[in-house]
Amino acid sequence: MNTAVPDPQIEQYLLSLGAHLAPMTLAEREDTLREIAAHIQDSMAESGESVATVIARLGSPEDLAPQYKEGLILRRASRSFSPLLLLRATLRYASKGVVGGLAFFLGLLGYAAAAGFVLTALMKPMFPTQTGAWVANGHLFFFGTMLYPPQPPAHDVLGWWYTPIALAIGSLFGVITTFAIRAFLRLSRGWQNRLVSDRHTALSRAI
Amino acid sequence: MASRSIPLLTTDDSGRWEAQLRKGALEMAALASLTNGPLYGLEILRFLEQHSRLVLAEGTIYPILSRLKAEGLLTSEWIEADAGHPRKYYSLTPAGRRRLRAMAEAWFDFSRGLSNLLKPVLSKEV
Repeated sequence: MNTAVPDPQIEQYLLSLGAHLAPMTLAEREDTLREIAAHIQDSMAESGESVATVIARLGSPEDLAPQYKEGLILRRASRSFSPLLLLRATLRYASKGVVGGLAFFLGLLGYAAAAGFVLTALMKPMFPTQTGAWVANGHLFFFGTMLYPPQPPAHDVLGWWYTPIALAIGSLFGVITTFAIRAFLRLSRGWQNRLVSDRHTALSRAI
Repeated sequence: MASRSIPLLTTDDSGRWEAQLRKGALEMAALASLTNGPLYGLEILRFLEQHSRLVLAEGTIYPILSRLKAEGLLTSEWIEADAGHPRKYYSLTPAGRRRLRAMAEAWFDFSRGLSNLLKPVLSKEV
């Protein structure tokens, strides 16, 4: 910040606001604080009012900071590849309705399947006889790792191919889940906008 | 789904309803204040004060501006001023202009309908 902040009250306010803006990037936070500092100085110069009055009109840092965070998670998530961030974003929608809950559940299931396949792929070198894809009577009997491998006529059809194939399937689950959630997040933002305007037009037509 | 965006139809607490209504309207008002060229935060606030009574806490305008910028509807630029410190000026992007237009159309449609609906409410003395 290049402007001198002479007043301890202003300094205190900006410090507190900055602390509440933790989820932002450093650059975003600096920019925000600079803007608020400029506002306080301009507002005081313009009205001749005290620091306390100007700050009171701004609202407390505790009230102001959450307003910045609103939409931040969703915005960041729809551009992200992190399962944690994506699931957190769907969880926000889950608290708002059935579709969101379903998206969260399916997302969780998708990532669990991805993790499961990858895990068994890693288990194959450690437990070669217990991990595999067993076929019995012409259909798939079991895929993964078992404490007691199935008895004949069930037989493992993949052998050492198990690891690359399970890795591929696991990755596919991960990628599909990620893109499905991102698409869901983008769509729901669009839906929200459209839903509102649809209701508006429906309402004005009804009247 | 999307209950937060439709406070009109789902919220029974009228205080929260009004706050939501204000917030939604404030986004549109912030965009509208920039139709005649770039302004900085305090100028936007003064403009809104002059033309409407929308703003409660002055701070609320800044998160809204930041959100509109993140959505690509506004751009911002720090410009050196006589005051001794730079100010952050906001201006509408082409997408912002389009959105504002769509919002204004929806708003007039909506408010016309609602006014018709509410007229009898006020004319009837309780």
